[in-house]
Amino acid sequence: MPLVEIFGLGVIDNITSQYGYKVISNNLVYFLGGAGYTVFITALSLVMGMILGLFAGLGKLSNKKILCFLSTAYIDFFRGTPLFVQIFLLYFGILPLFYDNDPVTSAIIALGLNSGAYIGEIIRSGIQAVDHGQIEAARSLGMNQRQAMTHVILPQAFKIVIPPMINEFIALLKDSSLLSAITVPELMHRGDLVFANTYQATWVFGAIAVIYFIITKIISVIGDKVERRLATD
Amino acid sequence: MIQVIDVYKSFGQLQVLKGVNFQVAPREVVCVIGPSGSGKSTLLRCINQLEATNSGQVYIDGEELTHPKTDINQIRQQVGMVFQLFNLFPHKTTLENITMAPIKIKGINKADAEKLAMELLGKVGLTDKAHVYPGKLSGGQKQRVAIARALAMQPKVMLFDEPTSALDPEMVGEVLAVMKNLAFEGMTMVVVTHEMGFAREVGDRVVFMDEGIIVEEGLPQDIFDNPQNPRTQAFLSKVL
Amino acid sequence: MKKYGRLMIAVLLTVALVFSVAGCAGQTGDQNQAQQQQKVLKIGTNATFPPFEMQDNNEFTGFDMDLIRAIGEEQGYKVEINHMDFKALIPSLGNNKIDAAIAGMSITEERLESVDFTDAYFNAGLIIAVANSNESIKTTEDLKGRKLAAQNGTIGAAYCVEVKKQDPKTETRIFDDIGAAFMELEKGGVDAVVNDHPVTAYYLKTTTSTKAKMVGDIFSADDQYGIAVKKGNAETLDMLNEGLNKIKANGKYDEIYKKWF
Repeated sequence: MPLVEIFGLGVIDNITSQYGYKVISNNLVYFLGGAGYTVFITALSLVMGMILGLFAGLGKLSNKKILCFLSTAYIDFFRGTPLFVQIFLLYFGILPLFYDNDPVTSAIIALGLNSGAYIGEIIRSGIQAVDHGQIEAARSLGMNQRQAMTHVILPQAFKIVIPPMINEFIALLKDSSLLSAITVPELMHRGDLVFANTYQATWVFGAIAVIYFIITKIISVIGDKVERRLATD
Repeated sequence: MIQVIDVYKSFGQLQVLKGVNFQVAPREVVCVIGPSGSGKSTLLRCINQLEATNSGQVYIDGEELTHPKTDINQIRQQVGMVFQLFNLFPHKTTLENITMAPIKIKGINKADAEKLAMELLGKVGLTDKAHVYPGKLSGGQKQRVAIARALAMQPKVMLFDEPTSALDPEMVGEVLAVMKNLAFEGMTMVVVTHEMGFAREVGDRVVFMDEGIIVEEGLPQDIFDNPQNPRTQAFLSKVL
Repeated sequence: MKKYGRLMIAVLLTVALVFSVAGCAGQTGDQNQAQQQQKVLKIGTNATFPPFEMQDNNEFTGFDMDLIRAIGEEQGYKVEINHMDFKALIPSLGNNKIDAAIAGMSITEERLESVDFTDAYFNAGLIIAVANSNESIKTTEDLKGRKLAAQNGTIGAAYCVEVKKQDPKTETRIFDDIGAAFMELEKGGVDAVVNDHPVTAYYLKTTTSTKAKMVGDIFSADDQYGIAVKKGNAETLDMLNEGLNKIKANGKYDEIYKKWF
């Protein structure tokens, strides 16, 4: 996996100095590499979540009973159980049945499945928030259900779901810290490792918090920009 | 052109249409009037099956819409509909609103679709608004775009569901003028309306509905000047 | 008779005196008395490290738990045990959240910079655990370039990091608790788990379905467990050392040792 080359294996600087800031300056590159993993994993999970969420959201609105049932079951399960439990269940229990699973791909699958459930609900409510007159207008022109969805409803639902989607992205990014438990080398895990060797809780977790905050702030600023640009249309 | 035979429709416990029989000849303009809740909008929506009927048949140009094997989308292309609240697509410009269905459904190329759309915009007097989003249009302008959008599919029939009810009074005229032109060009039209002046002037026939049935129908002057049924009389005495 | 009479009077007077003092002091006196009898010793541990510390039916059990309770009893303390992350133990001593930490904690140079340790109470040493089918890892030399798992903050983890420094191809997978590291080994995600010998031995003994085994000799044999207190907290340190010596002398320590090993 070339990920290691991108974000670096990183070696913990093991000093147990009483100067906490040194712990940070010596491990900054290591932390930023972890942040790289965090963003990379979250972004891929979000893409997977959007695809799953689109199907789940549409499925939940479908008149086909089986689709509706499957989508509802999927959404209920992944929203109704803790992500932490899902991570362990998938990593140690389910994914090993399918392939020789490693922490990073398992992490993307676990987060992707989890966010798919939340995004499914976002998309469902986004679709339902589009005025019913829109589908009537589309159908009265002779569009079938699918054409009406793709050309009329989804483009409008898309705008509606952007703010909750940004929220989901930020929530997912923060939740990715739970992946530390299966040794995904993301930001929180690296913070944990440095902390365990230096005991500088305030400095280490303070620095981690600042890095998380900067990333989430960037996401929300970009989200606001996108939202504003679409709103002028 | 349109045949509605013994149509029943209910929403849950509420019986909205209780056996409606109704015909429209080609090039005829029929205005449907009646008090709120009389079922006139539901009748219109049953004609293109936006509301599925509980029983009875609907034919358009000889094809039965209520038959389970009918391709309803195919027939709807020939039946334009204009809504009370316009229902323009807010994420598309005026021009795109009009060209979307011809391009996506009929597969007409974009240039031809736009040429047709510009012609139709000319007809409703809005060529200058082609590249504006619906949010920037007045109510009257929106409804004229909605009419152009429906016409772009070159329908055989146009259905109007209270097209002026949501408009400010000063904008009613511009929409009615467009509809009047359409009628003179020979379009087959069914218009659910509260505009009695329009019904009298433009309508070939007026249908009065109350409580889910057609109470009375006839030539406009007969209905308006000499109503036979006491319910028609009572309604007209309130609105005229 | 005279003799007994005097004694009687002395007893009566004493009793009267005690009661009157107690009466005047009211409830405060009672509390002081109770506190003197039952001082509380707040202990931190990470109860995921059998057989040293674990939870069974909501009770903390294990070698360390029995040991600290025995010391507490000997020294007149009520022992109150708190579970936390292993790596949170030393910071918790630092900010006085706990008085002492007993968690199979090895006495190391690094830790001695942050805390003080009692005399060693256990000689642990590290051991390598591998999958049953693994024939390629037999000694610590064979760990280089492999995938290694350990628990965060333990000397097993520090050892893995050392191996990685010697051979950068080594992959270290540091879990928050040792159970997950063993699961990873059984799943085939790592080649070996490096951990304290008693813990690994206990895991392999109690987990009948295990597909893992221990290989090689115990290494880092100077790996000794101590009870940690805040740096400079001589009072608690002396009290604990005294208690430890007492239970070693009176056979209590051996009793606990036999129970678990």
